[in-house]
Amino acid sequence: MSTLRLAWRDGRTAAVEDPEGTVLDAAEAAGLALPFGCRTGACGTCTGRVLAGEVSHDRRPRALKRRHLDDGYVLLCIATPDGDCAVEVGAEVKRDLLANPFR
Amino acid sequence: MATDHSHDHERTDHAHHDHSGPGYMTPQAAVENAPRERLAYVMGNHVGIDETAPDFLAVVDVDPDSDSYCQLVDRVDLPNVGDELHHFGWNACSSSCHIGGLERRYLVVPGNRSSRLHIVDTEDREHPEIAKVIEPEAVHEYDLSAPHTVHCIGGGTVVISMLGDADGDLPGGFLELDDELNVKGRWDPAGEIDFNYDFWYQPRHDAMVSSEWAAPKTYQPGFDIEDVEAGNYGHELQFWSWEDRKVEQTVDLGEEGLIPLEVRFLHTPEHAHGFVDAALSSNIFHFWKRDGEWHTEKVIDFESRELEGWDMPVPALPTDILVSMDDRYLYGGNWLHGELWMYDISDPANPRHADSLSVGGYFGDVQELQGRDIVGGPQMLQLSLDGERLYWTTSLYSTWDDQFFPEEAEKGSVMLKADVDPRRGTMTLDEEFLVDFGDLPDGPARAHEMRWPDGDCTSDVWE
Repeated sequence: MSTLRLAWRDGRTAAVEDPEGTVLDAAEAAGLALPFGCRTGACGTCTGRVLAGEVSHDRRPRALKRRHLDDGYVLLCIATPDGDCAVEVGAEVKRDLLANPFR
Repeated sequence: MATDHSHDHERTDHAHHDHSGPGYMTPQAAVENAPRERLAYVMGNHVGIDETAPDFLAVVDVDPDSDSYCQLVDRVDLPNVGDELHHFGWNACSSSCHIGGLERRYLVVPGNRSSRLHIVDTEDREHPEIAKVIEPEAVHEYDLSAPHTVHCIGGGTVVISMLGDADGDLPGGFLELDDELNVKGRWDPAGEIDFNYDFWYQPRHDAMVSSEWAAPKTYQPGFDIEDVEAGNYGHELQFWSWEDRKVEQTVDLGEEGLIPLEVRFLHTPEHAHGFVDAALSSNIFHFWKRDGEWHTEKVIDFESRELEGWDMPVPALPTDILVSMDDRYLYGGNWLHGELWMYDISDPANPRHADSLSVGGYFGDVQELQGRDIVGGPQMLQLSLDGERLYWTTSLYSTWDDQFFPEEAEKGSVMLKADVDPRRGTMTLDEEFLVDFGDLPDGPARAHEMRWPDGDCTSDVWE
């Protein structure tokens, strides 16, 4: 038994019991909409952040840089939960990755 | 698709053929004979704003005599979410004006993030419908992703520039669709290019030019200045043999030519002159062919501007340009600064500033219209075929919008218009015209590229 917990920044939460496949797959199977684009780990649309537990990328997360990975960001289209975990999700999360460089 | 036309026509001189196909015999015929635009097809995006709403093709009423002027009168919602519609194109344009039975009827509408290709049937101009969807796997099969520019290449076939390989990495390439708008395969032999972005072709010169943004994995998450330093953004133009599908000459635009985006040949097919906007370097280059060689020269340079309290001067970021159908004016928008400009290019080597509008962006004098905030600066442009009405939208790309104009996610973007006096070379903001993509049933959306049903200044090519 394992539980995948999802938390949106607007306060919504959801839990998926015994998730199968990637976080995105598991959420979709449970009828929960998460953002996504390429589904290959290149575009970063599905960026989430691990709050507790671990997830493993099934392939190289091309849209994330070393500093993003070190800060706990993951690509939910190619990331599979390793046991119980909690992930921050939603379109706002990816906006953390890159700031306005001129400001 | 279900159109009856010759499958194996030969490219020959239009002058010897009757005008029986789509489009116009010459650019001048388009200027003189085209009816006024009554509706526009506009890309609308919910990517990055709403996780459950698909992107859509909007049908926008641009007829001032209509009761629904400036409104979305219909929309084609896509079957999936997350596509990020960007650029799109017709199955046929004036390059097929001599091919009887062919119609400018189908729009090829790619998702830049998803690599999904949507074929939209516009037989009913006011109420288009999805005819079919080509799923990403059919594109990845050719080790390509991130579709960008769509050009028909005559006879109902289509070529699409692709910015990445199947993994979202380099190299990009070109995908070809057959005259049934099914994936035919790669148009180019693999290995010709690394970066890719926009392209334009000029058959009478056996020429195609392609430009360079970056790998999908680089630009799609957003703009990182470290990527510029790491050389992850393009700065070259590739000049191809159109017939042989091979790069014949590469021109490195260098530091002053970072991110060469939109490439626009002059419309007259006799000319081998064009322009490209180097967005990050804030320069416009002229390119031309002489004695069998392609040459480039920076002809317009926009200065960066200081913004109080900001760490670095803000570049202009001219993200889109277009050439009027009569080849008289070059238009562009400086997205960050908030400036729309027109240059007289009667002498393409020496563009002469004609007029500017200061609207939107960080510095624009006009920051709201009809009580509605304008967030981004002028971005994608479209000009009426007669050259008297210039339209633009304000969204660039969802992740780049989020960095530079984050309010756009809450407010959506707008479509605006200026009235142009081509004789005097002036533009006037039409304060009555505002299409608000912030006030839609599924919440705010981003408006991007625009096309007219019967040809336009950024897609029509003459053979």
